[in-house]
Amino acid sequence: MNALLPYVEDRETGEFFRAASEGRLVFRSCNSCSRAIHPPTEHCPNCGSWDTGWRESKGAGRIYSWSVVKHQIHPAFPVPYTLVVVELDDSPDVRLMGRIDGAVELTPGTRMHVKFEPIPGGGSLPQWYPVKEE
Amino acid sequence: MIDDETAFAGRDKCAVAGIGSTVFSRNSNRSVLSLATEAALAAIADAGLDVSDIDGIVRCEQDTVTPYSLAAALGVRNLSFWADTGPGGVAPCMMMGIAMGAILSGQAKTVLAFRSLNGRSEARLGAGVPGMNGERIGGFGKYDEFYLPYGLMTAGQTFALMAQRHMIEYGTTQEQLGAVAITCRDAANATPHAQMSDKTLSMEQYLSAREISTPLRLFDFCLESDGACAVIITTAERAKDLAKPSVLIRAVAGGAPSDLRPGMMFPVVTRNDMTELGGQAAGKKLWSRAGVGPAEMDCAQIYDCFTISVILQLEAYGFCNKGEGGPFAQSGAIGYGGKLPINTAGGHLSEGYVHGMNHIVEAVRQLRGEGIRQIPGAELCMCTGGPLPIGSSVVFRRAA
Repeated sequence: MNALLPYVEDRETGEFFRAASEGRLVFRSCNSCSRAIHPPTEHCPNCGSWDTGWRESKGAGRIYSWSVVKHQIHPAFPVPYTLVVVELDDSPDVRLMGRIDGAVELTPGTRMHVKFEPIPGGGSLPQWYPVKEE
Repeated sequence: MIDDETAFAGRDKCAVAGIGSTVFSRNSNRSVLSLATEAALAAIADAGLDVSDIDGIVRCEQDTVTPYSLAAALGVRNLSFWADTGPGGVAPCMMMGIAMGAILSGQAKTVLAFRSLNGRSEARLGAGVPGMNGERIGGFGKYDEFYLPYGLMTAGQTFALMAQRHMIEYGTTQEQLGAVAITCRDAANATPHAQMSDKTLSMEQYLSAREISTPLRLFDFCLESDGACAVIITTAERAKDLAKPSVLIRAVAGGAPSDLRPGMMFPVVTRNDMTELGGQAAGKKLWSRAGVGPAEMDCAQIYDCFTISVILQLEAYGFCNKGEGGPFAQSGAIGYGGKLPINTAGGHLSEGYVHGMNHIVEAVRQLRGEGIRQIPGAELCMCTGGPLPIGSSVVFRRAA
């Protein structure tokens, strides 16, 4: 069973997925007020500007919430797996999803780093993993 | 007590004159149109009206039964107003607002509001996800591409992430979630038509049930049901002369979270405060419009797609402070004999899941004095819908 493939041609969101396929993590941001806009829209809801673009992320953040999924929903995602919600260091306004195979032990605020993983069937998704303690 | 008579022109101007339901089951073996028709006929008869009196029909946008098909099946010859609202569980309370708007603006005299679904045998909300046939996910304003390809696919998983965050911020416990499930089950045990009428639930059973998406377990999830509910709304003036004691629509209010993000339910994970609901804004407007506050409610029907949804809404609508929903639920306040009995027929967790509509029906039963487990002397009852991505709410009042 193929994975679920994101639509990558959308005018508002496509660049996020096209950049991920090139190993870059980007998020939409307002060129007028500098506020991040996620999920991305062309219009800035903060200052009202249409002058918005994409900013490169450093690819680091902290865990905000998580859930270990144990009830099978889709054949592409065998259980157990851990859904993670990560808040980017670049901006508290950007939180991104990730999925880690298995039941992962996490604690609030765990440091996370991005890793680009190919999707069977095409493209890549930014995924998030706990940073190993030194 | 907040009282601003001029703030809300609709106060007590319209009433629910009739209610009707089908049996709630795991397999109705009937079409959703037949279920809707049966519930509508029951509501029309309950009001002492005739099919020919209906001139408006409003529905949930997720219903596959359209207002015009239902009009056709019922034999309504005078359909002059119709509307859809949503999304999902947010619909029923907003249907009351739409019906009221149509009636007070002269677009309709007698409005039928309904919800019909084969939510277990045909279209399971907890299982159906797009992309099963290989089509690309999201785009075109849907925003699902940020969630479904990651395996975030269901409402249950979304509310699990909210519950986890509520636990991190406020120390909410598994037992507090369990208290909500057990409260609703206790009400269902006193309600013969409830799907879980014959099955009791102890804390031990709750805690030992299988985990679906941590921290949520089996009994944190609502039922999936086949069934339909319908209500008839007309002017308060006219309702007085109809068959049953009328129940006034005291106030209706919807609301959105302070930093709404595009998409449906999943984007809650991106909001600054993942435990803030649209209900918080709706509640402020609701109590102001109603001229009464949360402490004056004799009971409440709180939209319970999950146990955590109830805890979040108890906070959002001001029944307790933010972060205190768990201890409030555990204190017994929400049970029969408590200061705010909720989901008095068992709610979605234990009565049946008609996507918010059975909550409206139960509110009306309580205020007529027809409760199966009646709250003595109930005069005011509030109902909520939602709770993602926006919220809706109603205060009902027994007519003097």
